[in-house]
Amino acid sequence: MTHTPHLFGRRSFTATLGLGSLALAAPRVARAQTREIVIGGAASHKPWFETHVQSAFERKYNCRLTFEGTRSLVNLEKMQKNKDRPYVSVVQMDDPVMILAVREGLLEPITAARAPNLARLKPGTVHMDGMWANYLQPWQGIAFNTNVLRTAPQSWTEMFEARFKSRIIVPSLQNTEGLPNLFMMAHLVTGKPMAEAYKDIDAAFAGLRRLKPNLLTAYSQMPQAFSLMEQGEAHMIIGALSSFGMQRRLDGAPVGMVAPREGIFPVPSGIAVVKGGPNQDLAFAYVNELLGAEIQNRIAPPTFALPTNLDAQTPPGMPSGVTVHPIDWAFVAENRTAWVQRWDREMAL
Amino acid sequence: MKSDRSLVGWLAAPAVFYLTIVYALPLTWLLARSMMGPEGFSLVLFEEFLGDPFSWRVIGNTLRIAGMVTILCLLIGYPVAFALARARGVVQVVLLAAIILPLSIGVVVKAFAWQIVLRRDGVVSQFLVGIGVWSEPQRLLFTEIGLVVGAANVFLPFMILPIYSVVKLIDPRLMEAGATLGVSPVSRFFRILFPLTLPGIVSGLAFVFSLAVSMFVIPSLLIGDRFQTLATLTGRSFLLMRNEALGSVTATVLLVLAVAIVLISSLLARRVGRFA
Repeated sequence: MTHTPHLFGRRSFTATLGLGSLALAAPRVARAQTREIVIGGAASHKPWFETHVQSAFERKYNCRLTFEGTRSLVNLEKMQKNKDRPYVSVVQMDDPVMILAVREGLLEPITAARAPNLARLKPGTVHMDGMWANYLQPWQGIAFNTNVLRTAPQSWTEMFEARFKSRIIVPSLQNTEGLPNLFMMAHLVTGKPMAEAYKDIDAAFAGLRRLKPNLLTAYSQMPQAFSLMEQGEAHMIIGALSSFGMQRRLDGAPVGMVAPREGIFPVPSGIAVVKGGPNQDLAFAYVNELLGAEIQNRIAPPTFALPTNLDAQTPPGMPSGVTVHPIDWAFVAENRTAWVQRWDREMAL
Repeated sequence: MKSDRSLVGWLAAPAVFYLTIVYALPLTWLLARSMMGPEGFSLVLFEEFLGDPFSWRVIGNTLRIAGMVTILCLLIGYPVAFALARARGVVQVVLLAAIILPLSIGVVVKAFAWQIVLRRDGVVSQFLVGIGVWSEPQRLLFTEIGLVVGAANVFLPFMILPIYSVVKLIDPRLMEAGATLGVSPVSRFFRILFPLTLPGIVSGLAFVFSLAVSMFVIPSLLIGDRFQTLATLTGRSFLLMRNEALGSVTATVLLVLAVAIVLISSLLARRVGRFA
């Protein structure tokens, strides 16, 4: 009598179970050997992160990077909710949100000892004693419809001209990119240098009120604003982001982006290490790489931004020799709610 | 018999459980948060909000726009509901599809479409210039008119369908009976037909007003940041300004207003119906 092994016999079942468990556990074992850090950034950062940063960093440091793309305030909430056991190691957020994170003790200071490239940054790009630094400076200037305006505007004062009646769009003050317009208005109305003028908020609102007849709208959704301008309903966006405007031009839209003679504003692109986050050595290494010239030379052109490292090159097509007005984000954080309330009252339809 | 009844009651349990979790509990939390002052339970947040003239302007904006949208929907939707109820065969199917299919299109898409229609070189402006109403194209985008027209387009089915459901149940012979008694067509409408359609009108008003009073995306896209309503102020307080206290208060005021208006209109309709 021959014994036919039963397909679902005890031994074969045990063996199958063992092999299955091994197969299931293998990736976890492999992952356990590879260290990992989570980066909390903006959803719009993901393309350049994956193309220019992720694989290079993972190879160099034999680790894994996970990018969680969302809004800055959501990143802040993640840090607040997980303060006792943070799972995010590095955050890339707007400067105003960084201030809130500093106030709540959520960030670990960056030092030149732990991130040597910090010492090679342009003045005004390291904030609150190294709590965070700017790794890029997209900029804000004037975007215009090239089909309507054959010559690019040269000055911020052109927005007041009667030919632009209800043809101007500005970012709402509730959007971070809406704030620089306030400072430019103060500068234009008072005629004083920016460093003296920017705190004169009464003058700033006087300028905004003067602009009202020319305002088509104040946007909270940037794509909508560009869509209106490209269709010709609006002629200019005052305080437009280079990262969006120059991309639209590259896509073939009739959009011009100009740095007026009074200067431009840097868009806050900050990076910071989360206090108590996993693998702090890797977190500082990541920050150091993003503050370094090599990575900045790679990510500045596709993001249409100015690099912050002194050794990095300004990409072609970017404004050069124009004044970049730094923004006092502590002043902003202190007063923003009051400004938004004033905006609601004084700029209402 | 009794056990049957209790068994039937249990059928509602999943819905009750679901609504408790996703509606009642968050609503309770919202109301509690709005009554949490700096020194514990108080109405100080409401006092502050209602003591500010700007808040009354926002409340006024909210009610005015919701009212205008509701009235426009009623004016357009009432005759359409009759046409739908009286139509037969393919015509009725086409009409129903024309009313219901737009519901499958997202609000954002519709708002962007209206942005194109309402442009200075859009069809509305060109038409008004063409028939001589305007001498030159005027701005319609980011005005109250643009917002009301765009919102009415989105909410119109919610006015038509409740009225249609009532109209189709009305026996057409009632009007014929009125005619045989020598009642004029206008009197027949106001004394027979209109009172019978009041339940549908009230439902439509309640639906459209509730939706219009709390709309967030449509005003954000069609009129922008310079026109605040209670809903946009609530959204901004929670999402951007991180001001939970203000957001809870504006949301509570919005809720109270919406419920009050719907209840008042319902009571009014009952009274009108009784006298009609």
